[in-house]
Amino acid sequence: MDLTYTEAEEEFRRELRTWLGANIPDEWTRPGFWEALGDDESFRVRRDWERDKALAGFAGIEWPTEFGGRGGTPGMKAIYDEETVRAHAPRTVNPLGLAFLAPTVMAIGSDAQKKEIVGPLLRNEVIWCQGFSEPGAGSDLAALATKGVRDGDDFVVNGQKVWTTNAVHGDKIFTMVRTEPGSQRHRGISMLLIDMHQDGVDARPLKQMSGASEFGEVFFDDARVAATDVLGEIGDGWRTAMLLLSFERGASGIGQYTEFRRQYDEIVEVARTLGRDTDPVIRGRLAKVLTELECLRLHAMHVLTQVEQGRDLGFEASMTKLQWSETFQDLWEVHDDVLGEDATLDSLGDLDLRPLHAQAMWSRSVTIWGGSSQVQRTITAERVLGLPR
Amino acid sequence: MFFALTDDQREFGTAVTTYLAERFDLEAVRGVVEDPAGDGNPAALWKAAAEQGWLAVTVPEEHDGLGLGLIEAQVIARSLGAGVAPGPWRGTVLAAEAIRLAGSPEQQAAWLPKLASGEAVGAFSLRANRTAVEYATVADVVVLRDGDGLVLVERGGFSTEPVGSYDGTTRLAAVHAEKGEALPGGAAALAELTARATVLVASDLAGVAREAITRTVAYDREREQFGVPVGSFQAIKHALADLHVGVTMAEHAVLYAAHAVDTGADGADLAVAVAKAKASDAALAATAAMIQYHGGIGYTWEHEAHLFYKRAKRLVGQYGDADAQRERIATLTIG
Repeated sequence: MDLTYTEAEEEFRRELRTWLGANIPDEWTRPGFWEALGDDESFRVRRDWERDKALAGFAGIEWPTEFGGRGGTPGMKAIYDEETVRAHAPRTVNPLGLAFLAPTVMAIGSDAQKKEIVGPLLRNEVIWCQGFSEPGAGSDLAALATKGVRDGDDFVVNGQKVWTTNAVHGDKIFTMVRTEPGSQRHRGISMLLIDMHQDGVDARPLKQMSGASEFGEVFFDDARVAATDVLGEIGDGWRTAMLLLSFERGASGIGQYTEFRRQYDEIVEVARTLGRDTDPVIRGRLAKVLTELECLRLHAMHVLTQVEQGRDLGFEASMTKLQWSETFQDLWEVHDDVLGEDATLDSLGDLDLRPLHAQAMWSRSVTIWGGSSQVQRTITAERVLGLPR
Repeated sequence: MFFALTDDQREFGTAVTTYLAERFDLEAVRGVVEDPAGDGNPAALWKAAAEQGWLAVTVPEEHDGLGLGLIEAQVIARSLGAGVAPGPWRGTVLAAEAIRLAGSPEQQAAWLPKLASGEAVGAFSLRANRTAVEYATVADVVVLRDGDGLVLVERGGFSTEPVGSYDGTTRLAAVHAEKGEALPGGAAALAELTARATVLVASDLAGVAREAITRTVAYDREREQFGVPVGSFQAIKHALADLHVGVTMAEHAVLYAAHAVDTGADGADLAVAVAKAKASDAALAATAAMIQYHGGIGYTWEHEAHLFYKRAKRLVGQYGDADAQRERIATLTIG
């Protein structure tokens, strides 16, 4: 058992801390700052800041240097996740590109794609969206109906994607498209890399129950994409997608723990302010959430260990997702319990509750996106426990 | 970062699991359960525990022990839990831990080699009323709570009165001690001993919980109703998936708590409370599910589900149940 990081990793932590300390304005750490800024302005500020961070060498932490990454260790990535949360760094504007597209391109992309996609993505010169879900294909991705018809050197794409994160800010979208006419289910799909800045692509915001519009819908109306702009083989998009989704790793659980633990402490503070911290029911509820948060932290350490040992995590990512998302949701249920009959008010005395409500509303989404809890349970039951399909 | 067992540590658990599977399976456990008048300490199992070092694990090398930590001890505890094994292993290890941490050099020299070798059976309890002490009836030495401290009593200095329990995988007795000697460091060691005892119980519970799920999954893959395996039904899949996640988290929590106690880490108190709370909840949920997802057969005496369920029921209350642990967590993190 060794729960420490190496000296090189701790040195990286110090460097990162110094940079973050000098580059995050105090006002960014104020509760509700980003919500008050509005979606568009928030996006612009974060995009610029994240580019500067990349230029300072604090992006692509564990990516090879040949791709513009830092060539760091999995431990450094965990430290990065922890320290950026600790410093109140803004959330990335390129989450799908960084987490999923770039590692997939590095793994199976053509030499041209490796060169053209990874570096610009890292510097936020190109914001990538993910075009997977459709109105008729949510958890059942293989039901997708967006069509691509070959026309000379291009595919002409028609259809609709939905729940697309950063849809209205996106530059390009990696899209699951049915390119073989009449194909069924997992067959005949290609992952096309489509430019969103063309007449045939229309991105519209969707207003979420929180009031924010982080995602939207994307309509393809005779959109064109070169047949060479395919990731993996034409017709083999399902395999590409499965590889892409396999990059969802639990190491970021350390960052999530850090974030959620801070929120727990904020909720405890609210309970103290309201004199609810002595209520035995509230104490029991808070302690139960803290128990799950500690388990999340330990699970993240376990995952990091497995990654460092070069072990295949298999379908363990489903467990990671269940643990963090269900715990996060429960955390915000407790928040409402602490407030009791005043849970829905905008403020309570001097306490502005709206930033807290934004988190509480967001917590309803996390058990849906990225594979719903129900999908994760089915995967865990069938692929890990070996129960029959 | 290495948050895992080493191969050597894992080997302890494999040895226990292999021995139980080959030499002391559930039929043997049932033999103990169905003989409530027996002492519940099968000679062959005790001999194996002695010979294979399960008793010597935390005893210092200078006293003929292996000089290992709570990490290794909890590995053994988990495998014993998975096998719902009877016997005074935990009481003996904890009596030795009490003497190691709080005993005088003379007490250590007198008892630690004997407890490590299995020549002496130990019993241990921190309950002020000294009732329901595990395996006091077969103990050569008991370590008991005495006010704020601890007292050591040799056989002959105490009498026992058996206390029945529906958990037949143990033997319990009230202890009446006429004479005894104080462990000089008892008061100072009480908190750490409580932590060590709590982790070993939590680990047994994690073992019970994991085995309950494993056996239930195996059954539900084969058992057919409506023409298909019942394990293909989503209601059962999702419940078992949640249990798998819960038990895995309990395993993490127990492992970390053992490490935190061994190293005196900041937050060791919190880690122990988290481990016991999580393992208790996981074991109760998993063993109740074991009954439910076996259907009617799971409710019969002949089936093994009740052995797991009843052991879990007894152990969750030891050193504070989940609610008590949560109040401890609240005190540590809220005030």
